[in-house]
Amino acid sequence: MIIEQAKEIVISAIKDALEENVEVKEDMQLIGGDSSLDSMKLVEVCLALEDLANEHGFEFDWTSEAAMSKSRSMFRNVAALAEEFANQSEA
Amino acid sequence: MIIVTGASRGLGQAITERLIGKGEKVIGLARNNISGNIDAIRCDISDYASVKKASKEIKQLKTPVKALINAAGVASMNMALTTDEATIQKLIQTNLVGTIYCCQLFSPIMLRQKQGSIINFSTIAVALALKGESVYAASKAGVESFSRTFAREVASFNVRVNCIAPGPIRTDLLRGITETQIEKITAQQVLPKQFQKSDVCDLVELLIDEKASSLSGQVLSVGGV
Repeated sequence: MIIEQAKEIVISAIKDALEENVEVKEDMQLIGGDSSLDSMKLVEVCLALEDLANEHGFEFDWTSEAAMSKSRSMFRNVAALAEEFANQSEA
Repeated sequence: MIIVTGASRGLGQAITERLIGKGEKVIGLARNNISGNIDAIRCDISDYASVKKASKEIKQLKTPVKALINAAGVASMNMALTTDEATIQKLIQTNLVGTIYCCQLFSPIMLRQKQGSIINFSTIAVALALKGESVYAASKAGVESFSRTFAREVASFNVRVNCIAPGPIRTDLLRGITETQIEKITAQQVLPKQFQKSDVCDLVELLIDEKASSLSGQVLSVGGV
């Protein structure tokens, strides 16, 4: 999966979770004080990404070390999550 | 389907047998072989990779998970001053960290369903501050604290999290504890008698049932404290 496709999927999942017509940019934080997503919405995004990954024939693991690591968390922003989603599609 | 950790012996085994007897499909998790005709997965809850592997296997079954019962645990009755480092590490790693691993890695199945009941195990030693159980009680106090907070974190997904805190129930964990010692403990309960595995199984059945849909973030002490 190319990164642009992954970004589209991730942004779509975030918009669905937010249930609002908000602009979701690549540098939008997914965790922390400035995030529009609370932790429960983030879980909803992850569950949605699991389903979308299945549709694309791979398994998306959001409890991986990459997800949990503080220094390089895939939840630091939309672009990082999309990058991890794309990486896992190639694994 | 109901997931039971520590299903090879003690309370976990009793709970597994009770639930199967009630017609529930149970997946038993244990480090050792589980006797009887039970669907089982080998899993060491103190090992993150092992729990993760088990969670993947269960997810692949694509069967709704009604409940997760974290009955696996270890005990060592000793004064803090005379407990060796390895035992301290094992108690915390298995009882507290292992319970957290299981909640973290198995609960997403229930979050997806927007339904489920998680039961963790504490002990009345927490509320009674029983001498000789300091490290064990500390590990279980952590389980209680984690459970109350985790209950709030998953509440919006209609997943309930509660703790059962048994008193001295006759299992392997009580090996070496005399009847006199047990009587001294049970005397401190609201209901001053020794309860049985079957009493704990009754509470498990209640907490799984929809009749307990108003209960979450609670610690139910067997015998009362």
